[in-house]
Amino acid sequence: MKQDYSYMKHHVRMRVSAMILLALLSSPTLFAADNAPQVTLDASKTSPRSVEALTQRAIVRDYKFAWTNLDAAMESNSAGLLNSLFAGTANDSLRGTVSSQQRTGMTSRYLNQRHKLEAVFYAPVGDVIELHDTAEYDFEIHDGDKTIHNEHAIVHYVVLMTPGADRWVIRQLQAVPQF
Amino acid sequence: MSSSINTACKSHNVHGALVTGVFICLAMVAVAQDAPLRVPSNAVAGQAASIATTGSGSATFYLRGPSISLKRDVELGQNIDLSAKELQTSGDYVAILCAGSCSSARFFVAPGKPATLTFLVHPSRAPVGLNDGINGVALTFDQFHNLVLAPATVQFELTAKGSTPTSRNVQTHDGIAWFRTSSGKSAGALQISASLNDVVARRVVQQVASDPCNLRIKGQRTAKGILVETEPVRDCSGNPVPDGTIVTFTAKDGHEVSFVDAPVKQDIARATMVAKGSVVVSAASGVATGNELRLGGQE
Repeated sequence: MKQDYSYMKHHVRMRVSAMILLALLSSPTLFAADNAPQVTLDASKTSPRSVEALTQRAIVRDYKFAWTNLDAAMESNSAGLLNSLFAGTANDSLRGTVSSQQRTGMTSRYLNQRHKLEAVFYAPVGDVIELHDTAEYDFEIHDGDKTIHNEHAIVHYVVLMTPGADRWVIRQLQAVPQF
Repeated sequence: MSSSINTACKSHNVHGALVTGVFICLAMVAVAQDAPLRVPSNAVAGQAASIATTGSGSATFYLRGPSISLKRDVELGQNIDLSAKELQTSGDYVAILCAGSCSSARFFVAPGKPATLTFLVHPSRAPVGLNDGINGVALTFDQFHNLVLAPATVQFELTAKGSTPTSRNVQTHDGIAWFRTSSGKSAGALQISASLNDVVARRVVQQVASDPCNLRIKGQRTAKGILVETEPVRDCSGNPVPDGTIVTFTAKDGHEVSFVDAPVKQDIARATMVAKGSVVVSAASGVATGNELRLGGQE
């Protein structure tokens, strides 16, 4: 009887452990964390104004958020996801891509993103910052269900960001051959 | 510009198959050098370009750019024409040709010539004599709002009434040129322009008087008390301070002290104070203090 009780206790413990493991593995936040873009910022060579630590953190947070939503917008062809993170020319361009993807039945993905940001210019009054982004990601283009392009891309972007009411927004996101 | 075959080279899990996989991938890269499409090497935003194809038969052509995604049926062996409108945005483009399998090539579209200047100037109002108090940032864009990254010289010109215009040439770096300067000695509009070839952007900074300086007061007894007023209130450069600048008058009558705040109106601040005995009146505005005025008691 005592042996049976011990066996049952062990069995229950195993099942609980398995359930916790399953719950962790199926957690969307866990996958979100894994698939979230990795963003680092080097602001040591910025001029004419140095970038305050709090501003650096805000830029990294908002740039990461912007690229997460950029991937989601291109995957689902939802231009709404670009709002409030992209403004001006960057917003117009990306909306153009989304609407033409919708017309042609195409989608695209930016997977396993890594962004190395370097702040190269920060305006004297802090109203605009220019960044160099060496981005690395797996870029996929789909026509319906068919994958027509799949490459590990390293792309250099010149980025202009400006501060909004509560976040930094991307105003220019322009790929260049090299810095 | 780069080419690639778009079949994933990823699914070789077994160690024994790794070498085979590497050979397959290398072979695919070698084939990619002979991809059946040749993309433009010097494309410029807003200019038509064409992509050459080789082979025969029909295929599907795709173009994915910074603001465009297009799909088109094409005949292999013929050029694929891309219109000026399809290449308006500077950045990287991926051209894909699918006929059975897909091949792709990447190319860049460079920005056009500078057509607009975005010119940010701060502040809109600046006190005179402020060291490095005015700054401006100019960003160069082409007609399609692509940031023009090629170095260019922007001329900043500052013109204040009654003084010789000053100018300086600054070369753009990654599309940005900037300057910083001190404000002048005289109040008034400071015209600032940024120009690049025939593209000009103008802004105005209003230079205003700085803090009051050398405050002087005069006064006299009246039936109601003491009427005190300042001489015209000016900053240290001689500019009259703006209306509304507050001057605080202080009257000491023995142990009693009374204060009156009066705004400057047409260069002068005026106040009436109640005092019967002999008083000492002084005035202050900002960090400036004036002379002391002694007035005898009322008879």
